[in-house]
Amino acid sequence: MADQKQVTFTLNGQPVVTPAGTLVLEAAKKQGVEVPSFCYYPGLSLQAACRMCLVEVEKMPKLQTACTLVATEGMVVKSDTEQVHKARKDMIEFLLSNHPLDCPVCDKGGECELQDMTFRYGLDHSRFTEEKLHYPEEKWSPLVYYDAPRCIMCFRCVRVCDEGMDVKALGVGARGVHSVIIPNEPGQLACEECGMCIDICPVGALTSGTYRYQTRPWEMQYVPNPCTHCSNGCKTTLSVRNSEILRANNRDSSGVNGEFLCGKGRFGFDFTNHAERVRQPLVRRNGKLEPASWEDALEEVARRLKQVRDQHGANAIGVIGSNHTTNEENYLLNRFARATLGTNNIDHHRTADYAGLAAALGPDAKSALATMSDVYTAPAVLLIGNDVTQQNPLVAWQIRTGVRHHKTRLYVINGVESNIHRQATHRVKTAKGGERAAVRWLTHSEGTFDAPTMEALLQLKAALEAEKDVVILFGAEIQGPSLRDLVSFAARIGGQTKIMALGDYSNSRGAADMGVLPDRLPGYASLHDSGERARFGKIWGAEIPSAPGMAARAMMDAALAGKLKTLYVVGANPVKTFSVAEPDKLGRLELLVVHDMFLTETAQRADVVFPAASSYEKDGTLTNTAGEVQMTHRAIDPQGPRSDFDLIRILSHQLGMLGVGAPIRLRTPEAAFDEIRQNVTGYDLPVSSLLGGGAPQSAATCKASEPLYDVPVGNIFSANDFLFTSGSLGRYCSKLTSTKEAKDTPWISSPNIQSWWYR
Amino acid sequence: MQLPAALEEKFTTLLGRYPVKRSALIPMMMYAQDYFGFLSDELLTDIALRLDLNMTQVTETLAYYSMLRRKPVGRYHIQVCTNISCMLRGGNELYAHVQKRLGIGNKEVSPTGTFSLEEVECMGACTGAPAMQVNFDFYENLDPEKVDVIFEQLQDGKRPKPVPVISGALHERNPNEVVVISKNFGIPNSRSIDTYMQRDGYKALEKALKQMTPEQIIDEMKKSNLRGRGGAGFPAGMKWSFVPKDIPKPKYILANGDESEPGTSKDRPLLEMDPHQLIEGMVIAGRAIGSNQGYAYIRGEYRYIIDILETAIAEAYAKGFLGKNILGSGFNFDLAAHTGAGAYECGEESALMESLEGKRGYPRIKPPFPAVVGLYGCPTVINNVETLSSVPAIIRGGGDWYASLGTPKNGGTRLYSISGHVNKPGIYELPLGFNLRQLIEDVAGGVRGGKKLKAVIPGGSSCPLLSADEIDVSMDYDSVAKIGSMLGSGGTVIIDEDTCMVDLARRIMHFYAHESCGWCIPCREGTTWLRKMLDRFHEGGGRAEDIPLIDELSKNMLGRTFCPLGDAAAMPTISIVKKWRNEFEDHLHGKCAYKSAEMILGAH
Repeated sequence: MADQKQVTFTLNGQPVVTPAGTLVLEAAKKQGVEVPSFCYYPGLSLQAACRMCLVEVEKMPKLQTACTLVATEGMVVKSDTEQVHKARKDMIEFLLSNHPLDCPVCDKGGECELQDMTFRYGLDHSRFTEEKLHYPEEKWSPLVYYDAPRCIMCFRCVRVCDEGMDVKALGVGARGVHSVIIPNEPGQLACEECGMCIDICPVGALTSGTYRYQTRPWEMQYVPNPCTHCSNGCKTTLSVRNSEILRANNRDSSGVNGEFLCGKGRFGFDFTNHAERVRQPLVRRNGKLEPASWEDALEEVARRLKQVRDQHGANAIGVIGSNHTTNEENYLLNRFARATLGTNNIDHHRTADYAGLAAALGPDAKSALATMSDVYTAPAVLLIGNDVTQQNPLVAWQIRTGVRHHKTRLYVINGVESNIHRQATHRVKTAKGGERAAVRWLTHSEGTFDAPTMEALLQLKAALEAEKDVVILFGAEIQGPSLRDLVSFAARIGGQTKIMALGDYSNSRGAADMGVLPDRLPGYASLHDSGERARFGKIWGAEIPSAPGMAARAMMDAALAGKLKTLYVVGANPVKTFSVAEPDKLGRLELLVVHDMFLTETAQRADVVFPAASSYEKDGTLTNTAGEVQMTHRAIDPQGPRSDFDLIRILSHQLGMLGVGAPIRLRTPEAAFDEIRQNVTGYDLPVSSLLGGGAPQSAATCKASEPLYDVPVGNIFSANDFLFTSGSLGRYCSKLTSTKEAKDTPWISSPNIQSWWYR
Repeated sequence: MQLPAALEEKFTTLLGRYPVKRSALIPMMMYAQDYFGFLSDELLTDIALRLDLNMTQVTETLAYYSMLRRKPVGRYHIQVCTNISCMLRGGNELYAHVQKRLGIGNKEVSPTGTFSLEEVECMGACTGAPAMQVNFDFYENLDPEKVDVIFEQLQDGKRPKPVPVISGALHERNPNEVVVISKNFGIPNSRSIDTYMQRDGYKALEKALKQMTPEQIIDEMKKSNLRGRGGAGFPAGMKWSFVPKDIPKPKYILANGDESEPGTSKDRPLLEMDPHQLIEGMVIAGRAIGSNQGYAYIRGEYRYIIDILETAIAEAYAKGFLGKNILGSGFNFDLAAHTGAGAYECGEESALMESLEGKRGYPRIKPPFPAVVGLYGCPTVINNVETLSSVPAIIRGGGDWYASLGTPKNGGTRLYSISGHVNKPGIYELPLGFNLRQLIEDVAGGVRGGKKLKAVIPGGSSCPLLSADEIDVSMDYDSVAKIGSMLGSGGTVIIDEDTCMVDLARRIMHFYAHESCGWCIPCREGTTWLRKMLDRFHEGGGRAEDIPLIDELSKNMLGRTFCPLGDAAAMPTISIVKKWRNEFEDHLHGKCAYKSAEMILGAH
């Protein structure tokens, strides 16, 4: 873009230099000159419908719309003349003629673009004395309401749903002054319920079912946090009043997601005050979980942990960590298991082979990991496995937007269907689970396929090899040896190939990066490497055992078989995740401790349940699936529960008093993050960026000499959550699950949507 | 769902007609509606599946067009026009009579389901005003007695004989008429290809294909000074020359037969009496710009005309004037008629293309202009039916000859549909530059009943009105523009001294408010605000400050809307307030002084 031609035009008497092809409205904005508009929205198709941006252009008899006018050399534009001001005033007057002035009770009051424009450009009185049109409000879903009289017909919602989301659930009904926005089913929506239409609405026409009539915007505080659901790490700005989250959106377009947010980020926050939330410690007495004091519960857990450790050794204890807890908590849990308890039996539900990717890339990882932004800017994207539309909504948005804005070529090898395939230039449809064979063939030309698949593969390969600077995305389908195939194929493509593993949850990558793995220390440092063991041993004040521990599935099997005596579970629900058929056999454990927000299938069988704070109730950092690290903040008071960080830290002190391990003296997540920055490869991130709300990319990197990384089969798998589920947490997102799309599982589980309404 | 065989066949034909399936959407809905009376969800589902569309795409398109409906109407759907030409000749009284007789109101269905009633906008029967349609049949020059006869026949299950061709097209020629494109009007079997060929038909095509290069055709068109007959008056030859050559995309020729400018009914006779003239013009246009596909977009109300045109197209294919290797020249051209579904806005060229693509008829951002990015994003020439119908004569007689018929820069002849308060409403072919006074007093036989002339709409209701002392004007694009109005579409409406100009302004604004597409704010909100104000004003609720407000709101729309519809609504209103301000002032002092005022309460 550096060599792009520049043009000079005159704006209000000042010369303005701008790249050729720039719209006058955008060029003016860069000069700090506001040209008001409703229908213009950066990145969406042009409308020129609201006529707010009319400007004077020399040699043109009529006023011109700055949103469609391309600045050309020598053009003379005026946006500050009396004629322009009058035109704006007149447009506002027309707009308000049928717009109800119910601002005092309108959700949008205080953050309404029409209010702002009227204040700045409008008349101070109304000349409209006729009867206004009225239509009843419509509930299109539990999440989306439409108030037609307030609608100014800017068509932003229609465009974002069509162009941005590729869902096409909104259209325009009737004609002329009676025009309204219509949903795709009679009176209701059948869609992804992303709520982008609500977010983009400049007025209070589309309102959120979770937020409407709750509060005024100026009564709230705004806390920008990464979303706690999927692995994409979208920033969701929590609107908080009296320690209650009332809304989540991303109206300021900050974060890796820009303006994007899916339904989970937007509506999936109400689990925080769900009635079933565990708010005080529970201890099993006479077979029943009963409330207990923090002191009693902590004392009991410490005592019984020591007991098991003394009787059966540290390796009779297993620790299962979380995909949702912060990096600091994961790091602490790692230290707790390996240093305090002295076992390498630590793992979590791995949803992508991050460790395998780090090992396969070796020291190259630093430059080879794709960011969310890379997915958008890449000239070509290769997607292998995963239904990104359902599982990685931001990744899907980035791909779609790239295709729309600069014709990104999307290559897909997939055994499952996904709406993103509509954007694909090449699609190889493999058998279910056949992605590995396809990758094998791409790399080594080995394997046989039926004729159509072969033909598709040949075409895809030829086209891909002509590309450069490709971004490769892959799901859990590609792991272990197959991942090494992929990395070596990637090296053959021209330019700088970048790669991204697609995991499931908000800190799936962070859990792996922090070494919540049986055979890897933080930063994928190998347990076999005595130097690395000694390095962390020194920081943690203990000798780290050298033998790798059990993987999560093996721990569960051992627990059910009575071979493991204690399971310490933090923010996970392994009974569900690993589809345990006879969960009551967990009774064979001498001690089952669970940190959780809810009584999950695992927590129900625990001896002690510690109520845990959610991601929105604590400080720390999270690493998204692209390795981008963001700070999360305590937006609301947890009202009872404690952060996993505090629980682990306190427990270590309790154990220390009993002579088990050294107490962890990191008092705050900040202190833990400092230790991470200093000791975990790839995490030496600029604090200024983090504190400023940025998302610097980490790159936990293996040494070149690292051995191949292979995990026992069955430990890396996706939970295949879709847009309306989020592991065990999703069940407590009442609003999200109240939609008919969430209930109608066949509708969504087959993304090849059956309903003809939605195609 | 199971469809009648004939409809199934129609669907198959329609699906094969367009490079993009969605284009078949509006015709499919229109024809399906014929069989079922309305469009049920089941039917729409079926159509959506056939076209690979989702429900939003189908319903939002449907919702735009006033002829498409999701609820049943009566077996006989009575549509009474009350737009200006009909209103001036008793349309409101006629509508009231029908309402009373049927005992139902606007958009209501009689209890037995036999009748339904709708007050409609201009249906292109202006020279036969007042008029109504029963389903697709036209009945013209009506009065209550004639209407009663029609209803008696309908009740007996008979189909009253509709007008064979538009009233006012066939008459003794006025000596001032210069007969070029109307030469086949009134000739027996004029619409058949044999008749057409006996009267020099397709000779121009032969000449264009065998003796002329595409460049020569365009040159001839430029020389002819033929200017667009739809209203804007853009030179046709120049428009054709804007189409880029050597572009790999297909190119299209579109005939704009959406004729719906109130007061205009001149494409209708061209289509119904001389469809081959249009076909020949379109093939020549195709040859000139290198297009191999044309569509004639005809307003949905003209269903019988679409049938006539389709028959003519079939004849032309059979004789080798359409299809592959036309007249052995190696040139191919396919042509199909396409039905609209009731939307004035679709007469705007880019909105027409959206509509032809099966979408809501929203106009497009310009530039790019259709010559570069038109139908399906391809270079497109779109001309009015009359413009294209003039092409064969120009090629036969030469551009210079054609130009010489008119005045400088205003070549040839054009059709005027003269309606309103004249003795001889009708369709007349006159050279460009004909004097308006002569047009009214001589050609149209003067003002009816010896009344005095008050106002003239020179070419459709979008034009600023002329007062009686402004009619000594040469009817060419430039002269009419010079006196602050427009030559427009040839729909000349004559208004006598007994007409309330406030009522007229009110009725005109009703039309534009009804037809505003809703895309841009000033037109969408402005037309309706003005409609409400003018209603109130005419009913006696006006305030002194309303008069300048009506003027100002109109001016606030003028020049600021997305497409010219806002201008079209503003211009006549501004002219009426300016020239007949006294009538507005009279309304402030009591009721409307004209008898038609009593009728307005029934109308909406």
